[in-house]
Amino acid sequence: MAKRIMVVDDALFMRATIKRILEQGGYEIAGEAENGQEAVDKYPQFKPDVVLMDITMPVMDGISAAKAILQSDPGAIVLMCTALGQQNMVIEAIKAGVKDYIVKPFQPERVIEGVGKALGAKA
Amino acid sequence: MKVEYIQPFVSAVFTVLETVAGCKCERGALALRNTTFTTRQVTIMAGVNGDLEGAAMYGMSMITAQKIASGMMGSPIQQFDEMAMSAVSELGNMITGNATTQLSERGYHVDITPPSVIKGANVELSTKTPALVVPISSDYGMVEINVALAETALRKAA
Repeated sequence: MAKRIMVVDDALFMRATIKRILEQGGYEIAGEAENGQEAVDKYPQFKPDVVLMDITMPVMDGISAAKAILQSDPGAIVLMCTALGQQNMVIEAIKAGVKDYIVKPFQPERVIEGVGKALGAKA
Repeated sequence: MKVEYIQPFVSAVFTVLETVAGCKCERGALALRNTTFTTRQVTIMAGVNGDLEGAAMYGMSMITAQKIASGMMGSPIQQFDEMAMSAVSELGNMITGNATTQLSERGYHVDITPPSVIKGANVELSTKTPALVVPISSDYGMVEINVALAETALRKAA
């Protein structure tokens, strides 16, 4: 059975691009959210295997959302997907329990590799 | 406004346009403008805060924006719709993110705010500091980088 991924990004274009890459990679889209708060609210409903989360978003940023999701479900697998490759943001995300990060712009293979590794690390 | 602030943005435009749209670029001459900025047909504007404060703006013609969005989406677009606006907004996010990563490697710790896309030419915007401007010629047309950044008081005191 295909693993289910939740895509969180405020940019319509990025959600569409990431969904296409994941579907072509054999994954199923569990659902999507436009900001961190929406991701936190929808996570229990979607129950995804992996959350792919942008960092810079309005309403609630991706780091705060990742922390909230990991607090409610310590087994959650969250990957950050961001244009910011800054060390301090990445360290904060990893400290919060995030598995890995993908820096935009990315090649499709990097997304598939990141999701695959994160799922493999859990198994 | 120091000249060293703009180089990361120029190199970010080169890297990001080539990666996401397969587009080659060439740098034009550096210029200084005052605190009034006049928009192009499409302008992407991203805020910067932290050790440096201000904004980065990327101006282009509608045709260039459509060509870049088509390159990013992998198929020609018929109109500059919500998806195309989102694509060029994300372009601004990636360029500014890439540039601020380079700035952080030079000791400036900065964050960015989600970009806005302004559609419509000749809208006057004002920035707190004068901007450095670099036009970039690309396969898809000209992209004008405007960077208006200043060190914050906290950074100056450090």
